Amino acid sequence: MTEFADMRTVYGDTLIKIGEENLDIVVVGADTTDSLKTKQFGKKFPNRFFNVGIAEGNLITIAAGLANEGKIPFASTYAAFLPGRCVDQIRNAIAYPTRNGKNGLNVKMVVSHGGLTVGADGGSHQQIEDIAIMRAIPNIRVLIPADTVAVEKLTRLISQTYGPFYMRMARSKTPIIHLQEQEFQIGKGIVLQDGSDCTIAACGITVQMALDASNALKQEGISCRVIDMFSIKPIDYDLLEKAARETGGIVTCEEHNIMAGLGSAISEVVSERYPVPMRRIGARDQFGESARDSEIPLLLEKHGMTSIHISNAVKDIRSKKQ
Amino acid sequence: MGLNYYHILKRVRDARKLVIRGTTSAGSGHPGGSFSMAEIMGCLYHKFLRYDPKNPLWQDRDRLVLSKGHASPGLFSNLAVAGYFDKSEIETLRKFGSRLQGHPDFKCPGVEFCGGSLGLGLSFSIGMALAAKMDTKNHHIYTIIGDGESDEGQVWEAAMAGSKFKLDNLTVFLDRNFIQQDDYTERVMPLDEELVGDDISEMWKNAARWKVGDKWRSFGWNVLEIDGHRIEQIVKAINSALQTKGTPSIIVARTIKGKSVEHMEDNPKWHGVAPNPKISPIIELEIDCQFLIAPSIIAGDMANLENEIKRTIHGRADFIHLDVMDGQFVPNKTFDHEKIKQLRPITHIPFDTHLMINEPVKHVRDYVNAGSDIVTVHAEVCDESSFGEIHDILRSNNVSLGLAINPETELPFWAEKFIPDLDQLIIMSVIPGKSGQKYIESTHEKTQRISKFLTEKNFQGLIEADGGVDLTNVESCFLDGARVFVGGSAIIGQKDVRFTITEFRKRLMHARRTLLINKAHDLGGTELVTRWIDLHEMGKKKTELLQIAKEAGFI
Repeated sequence: MTEFADMRTVYGDTLIKIGEENLDIVVVGADTTDSLKTKQFGKKFPNRFFNVGIAEGNLITIAAGLANEGKIPFASTYAAFLPGRCVDQIRNAIAYPTRNGKNGLNVKMVVSHGGLTVGADGGSHQQIEDIAIMRAIPNIRVLIPADTVAVEKLTRLISQTYGPFYMRMARSKTPIIHLQEQEFQIGKGIVLQDGSDCTIAACGITVQMALDASNALKQEGISCRVIDMFSIKPIDYDLLEKAARETGGIVTCEEHNIMAGLGSAISEVVSERYPVPMRRIGARDQFGESARDSEIPLLLEKHGMTSIHISNAVKDIRSKKQ
Repeated sequence: MGLNYYHILKRVRDARKLVIRGTTSAGSGHPGGSFSMAEIMGCLYHKFLRYDPKNPLWQDRDRLVLSKGHASPGLFSNLAVAGYFDKSEIETLRKFGSRLQGHPDFKCPGVEFCGGSLGLGLSFSIGMALAAKMDTKNHHIYTIIGDGESDEGQVWEAAMAGSKFKLDNLTVFLDRNFIQQDDYTERVMPLDEELVGDDISEMWKNAARWKVGDKWRSFGWNVLEIDGHRIEQIVKAINSALQTKGTPSIIVARTIKGKSVEHMEDNPKWHGVAPNPKISPIIELEIDCQFLIAPSIIAGDMANLENEIKRTIHGRADFIHLDVMDGQFVPNKTFDHEKIKQLRPITHIPFDTHLMINEPVKHVRDYVNAGSDIVTVHAEVCDESSFGEIHDILRSNNVSLGLAINPETELPFWAEKFIPDLDQLIIMSVIPGKSGQKYIESTHEKTQRISKFLTEKNFQGLIEADGGVDLTNVESCFLDGARVFVGGSAIIGQKDVRFTITEFRKRLMHARRTLLINKAHDLGGTELVTRWIDLHEMGKKKTELLQIAKEAGFI
């Protein structure tokens, strides 16, 4: 039985742990600190916690000012409001300022409620453009963890790595995929299953779908390589090239518009390094809509984002190869 | 401690000229908004900010965030004057490979915030101020925002946050120049009250219209409202902000876009246009030709000097000239430092103390302590050594240094070494000692001669004309090279001081325009004269300039 855990809880707990170790870590929130589970940090370290109210532009820019003075701010709210509302502030206050070879200011933008699985709040709140926005901005690195193990390790890692980061978490509890001892390196994908017939590269909640698809395909004698591409920028060029060479086809999965997201990032690499047939699973340039938790599978189904869609895409690639 | 008036004034002037040099060379940029905040920047960089150009990231430095980043030439020029880099680098402004980007950028040492996208600087400053509080640091954060910029909603998000976090280590200037890119602010998006008619002076002539201070007050800020081109008001406001605890301060500085260059002043067109290289030398001369009015209050009621001070304040004088006579150096006696000390609390307008006394070196400290901002001593009663001592005393107390010569005196040889450092030279045009004398005509020739000599000797200060200056001769005094004008009976002796000072300014403006038209003619004949005059689009300036040019036979 797969175990599920809540990313936000792990994020909040990790902040307290690293906050104890590093006094420069500060947390900035925008009236969603309860939801993002950063409130506990504020209880523990009241002088290092700033709630700016429902003012995301201010959130980002105050974080930039704090970072300018040597602090390591974690700025958190929902994905729909952080990249969605603050492209200008992120670009000009965080990503652009560069001095003494340090690119961008040291702000960690960590959001929750990415993608369609936000559910009931509806299409307005289902951020499916954030990867596209964030990866187009120089100096910003983009991470989408697949589970709470990744959230914990990456939260710690980005607090220790200079530069602006964007990390997106899911609203709902997510299955635990990685072993506790799994190592994470920025810019390196993680091969979860090896295989030779096709590669499935996924991020966030779609990693579990990729594993499910791979397991189903195994029954049909198709061997898939499954990669957790949690680091979308920088992306693992070598691993992707190797996968293309060795498996001859790649299916990408993301809880994001297929335009300019993970699929696009991977096709950029593959088309430059070793072109092979590709299929992209994700929202097909359409907004989401409300769905209660029990209906989220229907919503994903409507957008063609299920393990069955992934399996079909793998088969489609194999038919093109033959 | 004095205001360090001339120290700031000279640097403001140098910075303005660098703005012209930079934007002219770049062929683009924003001189208008650089000039409206020029005095604010001057006071910050050359009086208040603690910094080390050799160590730009010194942790305990004060921070200046230029949120209205398009005014970057106004920032870069001050950084150059402050010694962060060589002044000639201003010519790389906006060019490929330059550290001086179109908008402030960390590439340039001394820049604290990468501005450009409006509405961000105040939030960024709040982050800085929070960090300083966390670390119990004593440095101060200054932020300059624009009035057009205040359309941005984030400014008001930041206003709420500054108040919530009680950031008394943050002082904001609102450069209230009433102009944004498209038009006057009160037409585009009123901060005070919508401007309906065509009369733009409506915007500032009626204080009842001004609402922006109230907006900030309602956000919980300490609000100070000043004339943003008057050094003493800026200094007073900053001192008051620095003493305010528990709340951030905003200084609403009413300013003039393009200030100091007539054709740019109050003209929205000069928000973001660079001067033409052919016009720039005329502009630079114009910047050099700013003038100041210094009424001498002894020409009034000696029994009620307090009231005379009030009349000069109401008259909008630049300085208050205080003639101290000891009954020895000159036959008359007026008052001494004790009186100045009594008068000082009435106003922050610079006290221009003219010591007509023997052995000034013995007394100069008293006049410093009494609250003088400029002290001028007579060459006849000084020598190199005593003047050197006076120089040191004044400098260490932020008091500007003046030297005066009587009608029959020439600039002594020993004074030459002090010329580059001298703030003010008073050329007396009457025998000192009493008010109401007639201007000695030969002073015109003398001033012209000395003015030329001083320029050759790298004089950075101003010549002050003192004695018998009135509406009939003030123009010629200006054309001789004087830039500060003491008016005794001609100003204080008049019933309506404000009206008289306005008349003085009109004459001086006429003289300056004449000088500039001549300059234009020298540089490019009728064509350049016409071209320069055509730039003066606002009000009646153009008609008046055409008249002068016609009288001069240039057109």
